[in-house]
Amino acid sequence: MFETTSINKKNITQQKLVRIGLGTMTGILILPVALILGTLIYKGAPMISFEFLFTGPTKGMTAGGIFPALLGTVLLVLVALLASVPLGVAAAIYLSEYAPDNWFTRSINLAIINLAGVPSIVHALFGVGAFVIFFGFGTSILAASLTLAIMTLPVVIVATRESLQAVPMSFREACWNMGATRWQTIRRVVLPNAVTGILTGVILEVSRTAGETAPIMFTGAAFFLPLLPQGVLDQTMALSLHLFVVSTQVPNMPEQLPFGVALVLISMVLLMNSLSIALRMYLRGKKKW
Amino acid sequence: MPSRISYLPFALTAMTALLAGCGGGEQRQVIQNKGSDTLVNVAQAWAENYQQVDPSVVVAVSGGGSGTGIAALINGTVDIANASRAIKDKELKLAQDNGQEPVQHVVGFDALAIFLHADNPLDEISISQLADIYGDGGTSLSWTDLGVEVPGCKDQEIVVVSRQNNSGTYAYFRDAVLGSRDFKLGTRDMHGSKDVVDLVEKTPCAIGYSGLAYAVDHVKLPCVSTEAGGACVAPSVETAIDNSYPIARPLFMYTNGEPTGYVGDYMNWIKSSEGQCIILEKGYAPATTVNCG
Repeated sequence: MFETTSINKKNITQQKLVRIGLGTMTGILILPVALILGTLIYKGAPMISFEFLFTGPTKGMTAGGIFPALLGTVLLVLVALLASVPLGVAAAIYLSEYAPDNWFTRSINLAIINLAGVPSIVHALFGVGAFVIFFGFGTSILAASLTLAIMTLPVVIVATRESLQAVPMSFREACWNMGATRWQTIRRVVLPNAVTGILTGVILEVSRTAGETAPIMFTGAAFFLPLLPQGVLDQTMALSLHLFVVSTQVPNMPEQLPFGVALVLISMVLLMNSLSIALRMYLRGKKKW
Repeated sequence: MPSRISYLPFALTAMTALLAGCGGGEQRQVIQNKGSDTLVNVAQAWAENYQQVDPSVVVAVSGGGSGTGIAALINGTVDIANASRAIKDKELKLAQDNGQEPVQHVVGFDALAIFLHADNPLDEISISQLADIYGDGGTSLSWTDLGVEVPGCKDQEIVVVSRQNNSGTYAYFRDAVLGSRDFKLGTRDMHGSKDVVDLVEKTPCAIGYSGLAYAVDHVKLPCVSTEAGGACVAPSVETAIDNSYPIARPLFMYTNGEPTGYVGDYMNWIKSSEGQCIILEKGYAPATTVNCG
C-alpha cells in the first residue's frame, strides 16, 4: 500500500507553495496593464467625443481635437508597413527557404538580431542622416515611415522566418516529389501555411510603429501642423508625439486632455491588434494540421 | 489547394488607394519652423492664427531647442529657426560655409523668470546669489545660506533645476548670470521649459528658470536685482519692455536671407500688430509697441 511519508507531505506542500508563488507573480504581470487601462479610461473617457476625434486642435492645442495627429499616425503606420512587410517577408523567405547554412547567412542573421537591438533614438538619427538629408526627402511622412520600417524590419523578418520554419519539412518534400519547383512549393504550400505567423509579426510591428516617438520626432512629425498632409512628402502630426507635447510642453493644459490622447493611442493599437488576432484565429481554424 | 494569401494584393491596393486619396487638392505652401522651446507655444499660436490670414500657407512647427533650430537652418531643412539666444559666430560661419545666410529678426522679448516653490519665503534674489547657486564653485548649497528656511524642504538643500545644453534659455542664463563660469555639477537638467516649472511646482527645495510665459498660479516668481540690496524688479511684460528687468532677453527668428514670398509675408505678419498681440497674449513682451485693446 502507498503511505504518505513525511517526504511526500513536504513535496506536496512545496508544490502548493510554488504554484501559489508563481501564480501570484503572473497576477502581478496583469496589474500594470489593468492599472494603465483603468486610469486611462477613467480619466480619458470623458474627453472622447466625435469632435475630439475628428477636428483639429485649437487655442494653442488646449482645446479642439486630435484628428491631424490621429490621421498622421495611421499614415505613418501604413507607409511603414508598405515598406517593411514586402522587404521583410522576402528576406525571411530567402533566409528560410533558399539560403545555404554558411558563414554569410549566419552573419546576416547576426546582423538582423543586432538591428533589433539598436535603440530607437539611434534609428532616429540614422533616419535624419539617411532619409531626411542624404536622400533629400526632407522631414516628411516618407522619411519617418522608412525610419520606422527599418526599425521594425527585424520583427517582421524573425516572425516570418520562424513561422516558415514551423511548416513541417514533409510538406515541402511531398511537394517536391510531385515535381513542383522550389518557388511553386513556397507560393502554394509554405506561405499559405505560415501566414498566421507572418501576421503575428505584422501585429507586433503595427503596435510598435504606432507608439514610437523618437524615430519620428526628427524625421517627420511636427509639434503642430494645422492642416492634414497631402502626400507622403508632407510633414504630419502624430499621436505619440502629440501626447508628449500636450503632457510636457504646453502650459495651462486641461488635465484630462493628455489622458484622452493616450486613451485614443492605446485603443488604436488594441483595435488593430484584435483585428489581426481575429484574422489569425480565422485562418488558423482553416488549417488542416 | 486554393491560395490563402490572395487577399494580400487587395490589401496593398487598398492601402495605396488610401494614400493616394490624401493627395490632390489645391496647391499650398509649407513653411518649416523649428527651434526654441521658449518660443514653441508662441510659434504654434502664430501658425494656428495664420490659417485665417492666408489659408494657402501651412506652417509646420517643431520644438527641440534653439540649438536644434539653428542646426536645422544650417542644414537648410527649415525656413525659419526660432531661438531664445543670438546665433553664435561659430554657427554663423558654419551656415555660411553651407551656403546659408542667416538673417536675424527680433520678434519679442522675454523676462527670464526665476521659479520657486509657492511655500518658499524668498521674495527677492540677486544675480550674484543666482550665480552662487548655479555657478561652478558657487557657495550657496542650502536655503539657509540665503537666509531663509523653506517649509517642507528636508535638510534645506537647494535642488538646482536647469536645462539641457542645446537650450537657448540655458545658453542665455549662462551668459547673463554666470558670465564666463560654467554650471555647477549636479543640476537637474530638464528637457523643456514646462518641465522646469512642473518640477519646481512640486518640489519645495527647488529653484529653476524659464520663460515668463511658462508661469503658472502655483509657483512663486521672485523679483531680481542686479546686486544684493539694489532695486528689485519683478518679471513682467512691462519690465521686459522697458528693460528694467535685469535678465530680459530678445527672442529671435532666423531666416535664410531676407525673407521673400510667402515666408516674407509670414514674417511681416508676425511683426505686425496682429502677430505681436499674439506673443503678448502668450505672456511675452512684443518687439514693438502695440495696442491690443
